[in-house]
Amino acid sequence: MTHLTIEQLLALREPGLEPGVQGWRDHAAACELCRAELDRLDQRVARLRALPTLQPTRNRFAELQGRYRRERNRRRLLTLSLGGLALAASLALAVVFGPRLGTSPRAAQLAEQQELDSIISRSRQLESVIEDYDPDRRVTDGRTAVVAASLEDRLARVDNQLQLVDLMDQRVRPQEALRLWRERVGLLGALVDVHTTGATYVRY
Amino acid sequence: MDVFGLANADAVLPGVKAGDPAAQEALYRAFEAPVYNLARRICRTTEDAEDVLQETFLEVFRSIGSFRGEGSLWGWVRTIASSKALMRLRRNKYRETDELQDDVTPLRREDAALRMDLEAALERLSGTSRAVVWLHDVEGYTHEEIATMMNKTVSFSKSQLARAHSRLRGWLGEEVPA
Repeated sequence: MTHLTIEQLLALREPGLEPGVQGWRDHAAACELCRAELDRLDQRVARLRALPTLQPTRNRFAELQGRYRRERNRRRLLTLSLGGLALAASLALAVVFGPRLGTSPRAAQLAEQQELDSIISRSRQLESVIEDYDPDRRVTDGRTAVVAASLEDRLARVDNQLQLVDLMDQRVRPQEALRLWRERVGLLGALVDVHTTGATYVRY
Repeated sequence: MDVFGLANADAVLPGVKAGDPAAQEALYRAFEAPVYNLARRICRTTEDAEDVLQETFLEVFRSIGSFRGEGSLWGWVRTIASSKALMRLRRNKYRETDELQDDVTPLRREDAALRMDLEAALERLSGTSRAVVWLHDVEGYTHEEIATMMNKTVSFSKSQLARAHSRLRGWLGEEVPA
């Protein structure tokens, strides 16, 4: 008498009817050995399900939140840098077409706009450095992680303020934008230092 | 499987979608143990399982907006966890002689008498076989679902399950003389 193979016994436990399953079922009903083998299979699966739930030995939630926050901030930085590009482009247009429209900017305004363009460009460069460094993929000691997280929080605050600049009075808007972009570049520079040199003391 | 605190997990869903850290932590605490258990049963080391736990929740927080509530939240999280654990398994396969684990060094006949316990026998299976056994027999995935997750065929999943049970039966000393 040919007994059922393990594949056939497993097929008997599946829902639905594979070809031949009814014949195997009839055999198992009549064959004591195959029925015993099927019982053992059921018991083994039951024992697998009854294995204790393994618990993590370390609490890494703070690390997870830090990773998530850094990732979210980077996405925001990217969005903002695209916004910054648009702002820089509009300023450039004002510089080029402003005189033709009879609103000749004063020398100080021109210098301000040029500095803003330059700072936005520097900001993008620093973001690229951080992006290339990819801090999430690196092992970081606790102090470095704390300093980096603090800088990222400050960056997030500056970014929020930058989003509000457009709502400000037109007379103070350029100076305020310039101040915030300067602060942003300073914070990004400090963040690059922290990640690339492991510096845990930053002046900014 | 008994899942801790999952009954209340849906209640924190709006907060998690809004990025509220307290809601994220509540969700993490509710699912931490079952996700880790699944990862640890599939992965070879605790370090790998801890990494899978992190990657799973990072993905959950990133993608929670796409969860439409059509199935259970646990089912959705579990699929992400299974996928991350299988990815880790594939990555490690290139570094280790994973598939050789139970092929090149089979137990000698007298070793079978050692009557290994189930935990040890499960650990001894190759990564792929262990993953299929766990996903099918414990987590309740079908062969079709496992095949999709592993990017293999249904026959592959079935044959891995049969092979795993055949080995477990031998190592646990459950073979019956014909």
